[in-house]
Formats: sequence, C-alpha cells, structure tokens
Amino acid sequence: MIKRTFNIPDMTCSNCAMKLESLEDSLEGVKEINASYHKLQMVIEYDESKLSDEQIIAAVKKKGYQAIPA
Amino acid sequence: MSKERKTTLDPVILLALGIGLLTIAVVMLITQNLGEQGISIISGSGFTGNIMAAFITGLTTGGLSCLAVQGGLLASSLAHQIEQDYLDQSAEQKKKSKRQQAEVARSSTAQPILLFLASKIVAYTLLGALLGWLGSFLALSPVTRAILMIAIGIFMVGNALRMFNVHPIFRYFSVEPPKFITRYIRKTAKGTDTATPLFLGLLTVFIPCGVTQAMMATALGTGSALMGAALMLAFTLGTSPVFFIVAYLTTELGARLEKFFMRFVAVVLLVLGLVTLDGGLNLMGSPYSFTNFARGLTTNTASASETSASAPSTDLTLMVENDGYFPQTLKATANQPVVLNLVTDKTYSCSRDFVIPDLNFYQLLPDTGTVQVNIPAQPAGTRMFFTCSMGMYTGTIVFE
Repeated sequence: MIKRTFNIPDMTCSNCAMKLESLEDSLEGVKEINASYHKLQMVIEYDESKLSDEQIIAAVKKKGYQAIPA
Repeated sequence: MSKERKTTLDPVILLALGIGLLTIAVVMLITQNLGEQGISIISGSGFTGNIMAAFITGLTTGGLSCLAVQGGLLASSLAHQIEQDYLDQSAEQKKKSKRQQAEVARSSTAQPILLFLASKIVAYTLLGALLGWLGSFLALSPVTRAILMIAIGIFMVGNALRMFNVHPIFRYFSVEPPKFITRYIRKTAKGTDTATPLFLGLLTVFIPCGVTQAMMATALGTGSALMGAALMLAFTLGTSPVFFIVAYLTTELGARLEKFFMRFVAVVLLVLGLVTLDGGLNLMGSPYSFTNFARGLTTNTASASETSASAPSTDLTLMVENDGYFPQTLKATANQPVVLNLVTDKTYSCSRDFVIPDLNFYQLLPDTGTVQVNIPAQPAGTRMFFTCSMGMYTGTIVFE
C-alpha cells in the first residue's frame, strides 16, 4: 500500500471532495481517499500492484477534475 | 434484481400538491402580513421581513447554491434509480411507443426528486425549530443581534469571495462535513427504493450549502423555535422550485450549468452579505455602515434636504411608517434634554421594533399610538443613529 497526494486545482466546493472520495467505491485497489476542498488536494492510499497513477488520473478526469501528482 | 413497475403517479401528485400548497400558504401569509391587516401570528414585527427575505433568498440563490452542494447527492441517487429502471424496463418497453417511454421515465424521475425535497423541507423546518429554540437561550439584545448579523454578513461575503476564487483563504468559509458523514451519505445514496431519496433528503441537513448555513445562523438569531422553523421552512420551500426544475430536466444540465449559476449565486450572495453587514452595523449605531455613511455625506452636502427637519428643537416627532422613518434626519437642540415622540399609525413592519443603539433603547412600539423617548442632553455635533431591529430602516438625530 502506498499513499499519494494529488493536487486537484478545479474543485469548487466541498461537494467536489465528496465526488472524488466516491472513487473509493469504484476504483479497485483503493483503501482510502481523503479529499479536501480547503487544500484542493486528494490523498489516496492504494495497492500499487492493482492501480497506477495513470489510472487514478483517468478516473479523476472522468469525475470532471484534473489530478496533478503533488 | 427485478423491480415491478408500479403506477407511482399518485404519490408524486400528492407530494407536488403538498409542496405547492405549502408554498401558497407561505406566500399568503407573507402577502397578508404585508397588507393592512397586521401581524397576528407573532407580535415581533421583524417576522414578515425575515420570512419574506428567507423565501426570496431561497428562490433566487438558495436553490442554485444548494443544488451545487446537494445536487450530487440527489443526482447519484437518481442515476441509480434511472439506471435500475432502465434495466428493468428495457425489455418490456421495446413494444411501447417512445412517448409512453418518456412519460414513464419522467414520472420515475419526478418521484424521487419530490420525495427528496419533501423530506428536506421537513428536516430543515425541524432544524430551524431546533436552532430557534437554542437561540432563545441567548439573550438577544440589539448588540448581540448586531454582532450575529455582522458575523453572518462576513460569512456570506466570505462565501461569495470564495465562489469568485479571490484568494485561497476564502475556501475556509466553506464548512466541510466530517468524513464519516459524507462516507455514510455516499453509501446510502446507492439505494434505489422509495426510502432512499427520503432518507437522503433528511441527510442534506449535514451538508448545507453556504447560503443555507447563513440562513441557519439567522434562524439561530430569531431566538424562537416557531420563527426559526418558519424561517427555514420558507427558505427551503423557496429553494425547492429551482432544485426541482433543474434536477427534473436533467442532472447533466445542472452539472453543466453549475459553473455559470455559481457566478450568479456569488453576486447575489455578495449583495445579500453586504446588506446583512450593513444591517448589523446600523444596529450597532455605527456611523460607518454604508447607510449611515451615505446619509452623513448627503446631509453634509445638502443641508436643506427634503427628508430632514429644518430647525433644531427639543420636541421631536418621528413618524414610524411601514416603509421606514420620516423624516430620516431630525435636528435636535444641543446641550438640552430632548423628547422624541415616536408616532405609529397602522404600522406593522419591522420599523416598529425601534432601537437607539447609543442609548441602549429598544422597544416594540404599538401598531398605532405614540411613545415618548427622553434623550439626555447631547453636545453639539453629536449624531445619534436610530434603526429598526433588523437594521433595515434607519435615521439620524443631529444635535446642533
């Protein structure tokens, strides 16, 4: 398991954080996601053997946001 | 999972009627109170203004702002519902006409939205009652109320600036619900039964938008369970039409227009925030409120203003009318005690709730009659501000 932080510059309210955290349910290999509108960041803990950065970025993009590795 | 298609139109119509009737009741209450009949429900005359403001705030900004925050919740619930319905019906509906299909799809979308809104209205009304009840334990003197109004005003302006993305610091004006609540709500939103939208509607109290949070603070400021409940009911009712229309048309449209709407919401929120801030400063008797500052400028430049009395006197008369105080500027003789006669004549607006912050004078005037206020001698050049308890209507006594 590794923990990575992504900057999400286009979050507009705390609901965006909730939307991003919902990736916990759809992305395989994710243990936990903590997104913060205050910090415009998303911290994701995941199994790197099951999930790559590119897959995370793509999933975030599907939610309507841009994820930039911090 | 096979789900039987029921004729769900009855509860939809019932709920729509219920919300419609509630809206009409609130509008009737407002219009009746605005008329000459007077306020019979609550003697505190700020009531009408508060309810009206809450309803209009809900109608204009609350709906859009709430939709931005809570719309995702509703959308995700609807998405599951629609997806489920689609899977269940796809085989059967191949035989039906396109029109029939559209009708079924729409009614199935309307029902969860209405259920969601109905339970949201109930939840927020109860929350308003609770906040108002809690507020009754706070001694709401004009100064306390002024501080609360200023805090609310700052909160609203801060949220507007956050929406405009002025500076990262303003993001902290948005309250983030605890993770365990958002996680729980998210898990619940996956359900497709009738109870889910009802339950989600109730849960929206935990994720209020900025405008709603400001309204919750106002409910706290009412200091009465009934007024708090009425305020939140009016506000939530006001938010419902926009919430319903946008959610009903399509949740996709809501998401796409969200950014455009948020600009509009931010502008209105900024204006409302500044008005609230101004009211709070008026209630403090501050010469730096926008109203008092502007009046100071105009009375300085135009000495014989139409709204001000001409010669200084020790016996002043102020007409307390439904739309404010006349004249707005009174001239009093300096260094002598002054009697201020407050005359009401079928006055039912919040102007009746009369406050002179500098004297710590606060009285609910009779709807018709005269009340005398004895003002101790003041040195020349003193500007004494008076206002209604909402900080909406104001005026000045200038000692010369």
